[in-house]
Amino acid sequence: MNNHTHLHIHPIERLWIIISFSMIGVFAVAVLTAGFAYGFQLPVPEDRIVDPNLVATPGATAFGEPGLRELSPGNMEARVLAQAWSFTPKEITIPVGTKVTFYVTTKDVQHGFHLEGSNINFMVLPGQISKLSTTFTTPGTYNFYCHEYCGVGHQTMYGQVIVTEK
Amino acid sequence: MMRWLVRGAYGLVALIAFSTLAFAVFQPIKVLPRAGLGPGILLQDQEGRTLSSDTLRGKIVLYSFGFSRCETPCQGSQAVMQAVQRELQAGTGSVPVQLVTISFDPATDTPAVLRRMSAQAGADPAHWLFTTGEPRRLKYAIGGGFSVYYGANEEGSFDYDPAMVLIDGWGILRAEYRTPTPKIETVLRDVRLLVEEAQNSTGVARYAYEAAHLFLCYP
Repeated sequence: MNNHTHLHIHPIERLWIIISFSMIGVFAVAVLTAGFAYGFQLPVPEDRIVDPNLVATPGATAFGEPGLRELSPGNMEARVLAQAWSFTPKEITIPVGTKVTFYVTTKDVQHGFHLEGSNINFMVLPGQISKLSTTFTTPGTYNFYCHEYCGVGHQTMYGQVIVTEK
Repeated sequence: MMRWLVRGAYGLVALIAFSTLAFAVFQPIKVLPRAGLGPGILLQDQEGRTLSSDTLRGKIVLYSFGFSRCETPCQGSQAVMQAVQRELQAGTGSVPVQLVTISFDPATDTPAVLRRMSAQAGADPAHWLFTTGEPRRLKYAIGGGFSVYYGANEEGSFDYDPAMVLIDGWGILRAEYRTPTPKIETVLRDVRLLVEEAQNSTGVARYAYEAAHLFLCYP
């Protein structure tokens, strides 16, 4: 039998199919253009905010003496320096209800930073400074750790935020 | 009839998609990101006049921080302020740009000392003001608002993380330079971009500028 059925697609449905596939096409072109024609990569050396080789030198950047300090009452900043395979400082004590902004960078390879019980979860790239703020409302001990595999000592790369009563 | 409608719809969708992609890829308009809201501040300048974030609305403001006894960490920002001042003296059209240096040492930096700092920096009071304020308000504005750390140390001086901040006429934070030696060309480029945006984003062009923000057309 040579009786093939004619597949009928409603024009509106066909329009949506075409739009959906064109969107995939547009995104693919955008990603490929960015990657190959423009050579986007993160981070490009000229866009490095800090020099990873100098970042730990006292006086050169704020990461020379990492730690916690008060910006204004109720508002603190914590500068954390990551390296294979530790964080400096390893322990940060903050009073409950204080807004803390974490600035994290690395002096060697790519790391990650995840702080339990908060919204803080980011990559840490050499040359870049990752920044997020949080306010702990419950006293307790919260772990932070590296969650981007960075070598044989990766599992030892963690620390603690201790939130104390006011 | 239906066929032409469908073809027209295809064409319209393709045109919109293509021009949107072209805008996002070629970025004909560059803007600085809207990074957040600038803090409310209350300052006194070298003549004892009051200066606040409210009176500075409508002006693009470049802030630098320091104190009269500050040497090395403040020189980088001073060079940038001088370079921007030269450009302002040459004229920026109808958009006002204000340079403001805030001293966080009001105990030492009285209006007389601020006038001396101004003279030493070669500041033109028409463009560049030296200011300070009440310590508690300063701490909230500079530390809390701009996230710029400073604090008295044992030597009777200040520990300070060098920084400069650029605020637009709407009071929105548009750029921060957190380095002892900000690049003069970068700061000049950013000031020019803000002046262009304030000048050009009227009428239909306003939507083009909003599109540039939407597609992150940053320099």
